[in-house]
Amino acid sequence: MKQETVHADKVQLAYAAILSKATTLSIVFVILGYVVYIFQLLPLSVPIEQVSENWHLRASEFHQNIHAPFGWNALSDFGKGDALSYISILYLGAVTMFCLVAAGFAFLKEKNVIYTVISFVQLLVLIFAATGIISGGH
Amino acid sequence: MVLKNIRDWIVPSVLLMLFMIMPEIACAAETAMVADTAWWVWVLGLFVFTFLLGIVAVIAGVGGGVLYVPIVSSFFPFHIDFVRGTGLLVALAGALSAGAPLLRKGLANLKLALSMSLIGSISSIAGALVGLALPENVIQLSLGLTILGITVIMFLSKNSAYPQIEKPDSLSQVLQIYGIYYDEHLKKDVNWQIHRTPVGLVLFIVIGFMAGMFGLGAGWANVPVFNLVLGAPLRVSVATSVFVLSVNDTAAAWVYLHKGAVLPLIAVPSVAGMMLGTKIGAKLLTKVHTNVVRRVVITLLGVAGLRALLKGLGIWN
Repeated sequence: MKQETVHADKVQLAYAAILSKATTLSIVFVILGYVVYIFQLLPLSVPIEQVSENWHLRASEFHQNIHAPFGWNALSDFGKGDALSYISILYLGAVTMFCLVAAGFAFLKEKNVIYTVISFVQLLVLIFAATGIISGGH
Repeated sequence: MVLKNIRDWIVPSVLLMLFMIMPEIACAAETAMVADTAWWVWVLGLFVFTFLLGIVAVIAGVGGGVLYVPIVSSFFPFHIDFVRGTGLLVALAGALSAGAPLLRKGLANLKLALSMSLIGSISSIAGALVGLALPENVIQLSLGLTILGITVIMFLSKNSAYPQIEKPDSLSQVLQIYGIYYDEHLKKDVNWQIHRTPVGLVLFIVIGFMAGMFGLGAGWANVPVFNLVLGAPLRVSVATSVFVLSVNDTAAAWVYLHKGAVLPLIAVPSVAGMMLGTKIGAKLLTKVHTNVVRRVVITLLGVAGLRALLKGLGIWN
């Protein structure tokens, strides 16, 4: 019977190391942010009742009715519980980008031109989406 | 064998009939409940519901994201914009959590994932923009049709554990897409390579677009394309699908975040419930009859797809 052999290369291991740490951190952030929000440990931009009265509306109509934090604007409301919870979700959206930076440099170290380029172009696509330019971001 | 098959379909069929004969009751109950129920009841209900969904999703071998959007948009009062935004985050959180061990074991292949996700992530951004711009009834109608299509794919799909590739295509050779992994079932190393890479790239454009448009995790489509079209072994296909999903869903999720289609009040209990449920489901995996659960899930998905279709047609609101 053959013993199990691990075939992951250095790039995969570098990606996995960042992924593991960044994901664990994101789960902690998301849960802590939500506890602060839901138990109103910090003041809120919008009362929770007002959010629930409007969550049946389209996103665009919802934000016309109430001024809940969203997009990068949430950073300007950092001291508010709902903004903090929202920012923790923004961090979750950034985890893959951290991993791609690690993968890009690991491929570069191996002089693998094709995947260095693919990794950094992929990173640029995600950064482009994250800036909100294309979606009229806030 | 025939009797066993009949028995396996009885539970799902009864469930389907119950849903079909109760639309008026369901509608009346929904209207009254939405008006009177406190926010925390919905939030708590969502957590419990997604926890259960996480358990059955992993037992049935489907992604949580594909179940979340049609079922939550059918039976909870949230607008489908918020449900889709949350659906992407549910699928993303699940993929990120599952990712590291799959990479370390060498089951997931980063080169295969990155080659397909680059083009898929661009189309998922386009899908998200289109999805958030379309009228609600069009989204419901197309979501219903898509979910019914997925139900058929899940019902009919026959994966191939170890596809035999006679000759890899030239693009896959240029992109260095081949590998080796240790197979715990065979107790030996398995070498693999792929073919039909250009066809795969085109299919991942379509998959990315649909994932972004409907907020669905796309494991239901990624795995058959990797396995049946490109010819990657099933284990490699399932593991690599997780990475394509994490990149594509990240791209689309940012569009939903910037359009204000993510509410932490809904998103966090959904993500937490699904992740917790998935962990419990993984532990129960060897103790339950997975075929029966899979059939129940396929039936639920069919009902939710039908509900979305009827909503889109204005027949059952």
